Amino acid sequence: MLSWLIPYMDTTDLSLNVNIGGIQMRNPVMTASGTFGYGSEYVDFVDLNRLGAVVVKGVTSTPWPGNPMQRIMETPSGMLNAIGLQNVGVDGFITQKLPYLRDFDVPVIVNVCGKTVEEYVTVSEKLNGADGVAGIELNISCPNLDCGGMSFGVDAELASHLVTAVRAKTHLPLLVKLSPNVTDITVIARAVEDAGADALSAINTLIGMAIDAETRTPELANVTGGLSGPAIKPVALRLVWEVYKSVSIPIVGMGGIMNATDAVEFFIAGASAVAVGTANFVNPQASMEVLKGIPAYLKQANMKSIKELVGSLQVGS
Amino acid sequence: MRNNPLLNRYDIHTAILSNEKVAEDHYLLRCECAEIAHHARPGQFVHVLISYGAGLLLRRPFTIYTVENSQITMLYQIIGEGTQRLSEMSKGATLQVLGPLGNTFDIAKAPPELAILVGGGAGIASLMLLAAVLRARGIQTLGLVGAQHRARLLSVTDLKSIGIDVHIATDDGSIGHHGYITDVLAALLGKTERHRPTIYACGPHGMLAAVTKIAADFEVPAQVAMENRMGCAMGVCLGCVCPVRIDATHVEYQRVCTEGPVFNATDIVWDI
Ligand SMILES: Cc1cc2nc3c(=O)[nH]c(=O)nc-3n(C[C@H](O)[C@H](O)[C@H](O)COP(=O)(O)OP(=O)(O)OC[C@H]3O[C@@H](n4cnc5c(N)ncnc54)[C@H](O)[C@@H]3O)c2cc1C
Ligand SMILES: Cc1cc2nc3c(=O)[nH]c(=O)nc-3n(C[C@H](O)[C@H](O)[C@H](O)COP(=O)(O)O)c2cc1C
Ligand code: FES
Repeated sequence: MLSWLIPYMDTTDLSLNVNIGGIQMRNPVMTASGTFGYGSEYVDFVDLNRLGAVVVKGVTSTPWPGNPMQRIMETPSGMLNAIGLQNVGVDGFITQKLPYLRDFDVPVIVNVCGKTVEEYVTVSEKLNGADGVAGIELNISCPNLDCGGMSFGVDAELASHLVTAVRAKTHLPLLVKLSPNVTDITVIARAVEDAGADALSAINTLIGMAIDAETRTPELANVTGGLSGPAIKPVALRLVWEVYKSVSIPIVGMGGIMNATDAVEFFIAGASAVAVGTANFVNPQASMEVLKGIPAYLKQANMKSIKELVGSLQVGS
Repeated sequence: MRNNPLLNRYDIHTAILSNEKVAEDHYLLRCECAEIAHHARPGQFVHVLISYGAGLLLRRPFTIYTVENSQITMLYQIIGEGTQRLSEMSKGATLQVLGPLGNTFDIAKAPPELAILVGGGAGIASLMLLAAVLRARGIQTLGLVGAQHRARLLSVTDLKSIGIDVHIATDDGSIGHHGYITDVLAALLGKTERHRPTIYACGPHGMLAAVTKIAADFEVPAQVAMENRMGCAMGVCLGCVCPVRIDATHVEYQRVCTEGPVFNATDIVWDI
């Protein structure tokens, strides 16, 4: 743990702070929803006050029990999950989970999911009035739900309708989390930008499946699940790059970020901030290690601010 | 089961001190993990990073088999890629060991007059630290060890060395009772009316379900250690859950890594 305290190089003149759709962050390293619980689970490994923002597990209007087992499966350089958004519901979140996070000086972004527009609106309205919520991340891309959920994320009209409805009921900064499981992500990205989204998160998991050849059964009870981890990083980078070229709101990049170099690649592709997801499972201090490496990169690249790195991809000659 | 409210968890970079074959497909690994050794309680486990990168992403969970001063051991079976790679690592190779994790077997509230440990296959690994604590408290303890066949039998010498009577069953009858270890359990319970026994079990799902049924038939309390696939082992991914009966009408998915791995046998819904 001590290693974070050891000065690595003089990086005091570097500016790491970013503004993501109205949320002011001291640095661009966040946690990805569903991979960091409600923050409290990691406090003995991560100083929450050093994160750019904490994004909590998806919440719904009522508690959801989640999917039956098996829910996860390791795959080459990745994992599949079909958790089914098991969560305590928005009221449970506000009374049981949020008070703990209020003691920290870190923006809390709440990931919101639902099966209908009304559910998303109900949850967002409740969060709007809750003390200690810095922003909402609308999860229109969860691949593990029977109805709703992802259908919003794969249809520009539905996505636009949903964002408009939520926008009308909350003044909180609104991030919209995009699904990679679409033909053209830029169509959805522009639709939600036009509908009033303040920022975009990209990407959620890629739908996949794993089969046990011996028993000829699916490895996951839900049959399909969301693929995450290093296996999806190339796809995530490509999608962030495409979205960056088609919208003007900031992007939170994620998908397989394991270390600072991975994060830097996302900034170069156009992300203004990054979120660390599955890496938290492998290394509880992954977010801190990603953060630690960014100033060093900026310094050697002769940059004064993280903003110089965003979208700095050099294509062609 | 006692939940561990104090988060005495450590993620330790360590080197393998020894990693030896102890039975067919089974290895005993020893490493220096002072903080984990200091805080480890019976039933708790560690989450081991076998190789960073190189295709294998997630850690692998193993129970803390024994604690000796600042060292811990793990007794593991080769199942797939992860444990295969682990078995090929030699002295000096590095690992990252996160722990101790999970709750513990509960012997504090109601110390049993007689403890019966039931281990199937590598499941016996989850009961060794418990065995040592029970013996240190002078509690009479029986060890029931099941294996496929003689060459895969585990822990018998270790149990005997701390004064535990061991009963054996093998699927092919190559040593001990020819059949399931649960047959031995049922027969024993029929003979132990004088005592108030408690059962502690770990092993394959089917064995644990059978132990639960036998314990219920004899009205004997039983605690089981569950082994589910794990992602984080920190309580956040919700990948490791099992269905637990909360009251007459409610079942909820609880995390084996956090609310478990030890559960009251009758609280688990075995047929979901
Ligand atoms: C709390 C706990 C304690 C455990 N203690 C021991 C122990 O002391 N000794 C021992 O031999 N085994 C123990 N296990 C089981 C051990 O974790 C698995 O055998 C091991 O993870 C298999 O990994 P693999 O890569 O070889 O197998 P693969 O089948 O290649 O692994 C694929 C994925 O499934 C998971 N997995 C496969 N089998 C199991 C299983 N039976 N239980 C949980 N996850 C599994 C792996 O972790 C991995 O994520 C324990 C499991 C848990 C949850
Ligand atoms: C176990 C698990 C649970 C997740 N739960 C959520 C969720 O509740 N809401 C959400 O928007 N994304 C969820 N995600 C997706 C992640 O936030 C992230 O977008 C994705 O995993 C890609 O990043 P990574 O490869 O770094 O994990 C989950 C991912 C995992 C692995
Ligand atoms: S393994 Fe992630 S919650 Fe238990």
